[in-house]
Amino acid sequence: MARNDALLTVQGLSVSYGHINALKQASLEVFPGEIVVLIGANGAGKTTLLETVLGINMPLAGEITFNGKAVGGAHADRNVRAGLCLVPEGRGVFASMSVLDNLLLGAHHNMRNVTRNLERVYEWFPILRTRRDQVARTLSGGERQMLAIGRALMSAPKLIMIDEPSIGLAPIVVNDIFFILTRLNQEGYTILLSEQNAFKALKCAHRGYVLETGSVTMTGSAEQLLNDPGVKAAYLGA
Amino acid sequence: MQVFIAQVINGLSLGSIYVLLVTGFNLLLLVAMIIHFSYPQVVVFSMYVTWVVLRLTGNNIPLGVLAGVTSSVAVNLISAPLFQKVMAKRGEVDINSTMVLSMGIGMIITDVLSHSFNQGLTIAFPDSLSSDAPLLRIGVISIVSGEVWSLAIGIVAVAGFFLLLYRTRPGRAFRAIAEDPNGARLVGIPILRTGLYSYALSGVLGGIIAILLAMLLGSASPGLGEQVAHKVLAVSIIAGLGNLAGGLVVGLLLGILEAIVQGYISGSWSNAIAFVIMLVVILVKPKGLFGTRL
Repeated sequence: MARNDALLTVQGLSVSYGHINALKQASLEVFPGEIVVLIGANGAGKTTLLETVLGINMPLAGEITFNGKAVGGAHADRNVRAGLCLVPEGRGVFASMSVLDNLLLGAHHNMRNVTRNLERVYEWFPILRTRRDQVARTLSGGERQMLAIGRALMSAPKLIMIDEPSIGLAPIVVNDIFFILTRLNQEGYTILLSEQNAFKALKCAHRGYVLETGSVTMTGSAEQLLNDPGVKAAYLGA
Repeated sequence: MQVFIAQVINGLSLGSIYVLLVTGFNLLLLVAMIIHFSYPQVVVFSMYVTWVVLRLTGNNIPLGVLAGVTSSVAVNLISAPLFQKVMAKRGEVDINSTMVLSMGIGMIITDVLSHSFNQGLTIAFPDSLSSDAPLLRIGVISIVSGEVWSLAIGIVAVAGFFLLLYRTRPGRAFRAIAEDPNGARLVGIPILRTGLYSYALSGVLGGIIAILLAMLLGSASPGLGEQVAHKVLAVSIIAGLGNLAGGLVVGLLLGILEAIVQGYISGSWSNAIAFVIMLVVILVKPKGLFGTRL
């Protein structure tokens, strides 16, 4: 794959909160059709990286190019319109709003094909159709994660970023979520996800980056990372 | 019994005005994330603008209404950048600093009204707007057309507002920001621009309230805004800050309570009694009757 074909390029990205340098010169690329996983411990800067790409934080230095255009600067709404989206950590759905309202919020900038997109999300997640008039608070953890992913799909994204999809979910539900991510990828969605529990993520990903205290320390194919002794020791519990 | 019915109707029309005021206040609190303590002063300012336009146009009601609504929206939109300048540093600045800004705006309005209009004297609205011609008279009670109209318009305005909030795209964005501003940002809702819509919408509500107050009271004075502001703040805290449904209930209850006191005891005691009851409620339920939604 040629370098300039990348859907997302992050080059030398640095972000700080006050005196804390959350990201130091981090670089990565995501190509169309890939699942790329960001591996790192709590506080390694995964969320900061994803949120900065989305346009929540103002980077100190570095460049972000998405779909051939520079997207630096804090303009999340503009970037969502351009096809970026983020499924937040902890399944950040709006708990007091209905399932349908949550899905429609995902379509805030994409109301034109809303009926068709809604139908497609319901096909992916039939449970959301059943529960569409319920408040999101009443959903189980797994259902909330599905709602958060469904909401992302409503924006017709070119790149879906997912922050720690497995956190706080039962192992059997985690399997479901990764199965869905794999299928979404087979349907053509490009996915960038962050994970602390690297094993399952690397099993379904094409490539990965290891993030340590704000810097990318290693990158390679999913297989390389799975077999790397350092990664094994630090992230795979082996 | 007849007095009771008449005062309940009277109270409902007064109450629907409180409901609209609390709704506008809560909307700004939830979506623009400011404490606009002086929102009622903006409303009274619009009453004055309406009064001036009515005088200049020989009591052209549609033009007066238009001027009232436009001026209220304009004041809100002009003050929005000031508030947003403060709120842009939300991390460092406490929301209470917006209350200081709001109080300043309120004082400027009150001063302007008492110096520049009618020599600070009470202004009276023409009969065509605030007619106290009785629509219905049964025994001692009479139901005045101003009351009935303001009640009817109040109901339509409240219903329209809630429809907008629960059935439209901007309404959905309002609710998302109200529940979780950061989450709303993450799904790509433009916080500042959506906030601006809430300034405009509360301006429209304010203009409608100004007309309703003119119809119901028939007059206005520079100090009216401040007097109402205390009640609006009290009602929203009693109901639970940011609780729109709670504001609806408590606003109507306060209107009815005041009217009943006026009917059976004395008009001059209605404020004191209302505040004593609210004091008791807040002692028993410090978070408001229906809970804060912030």
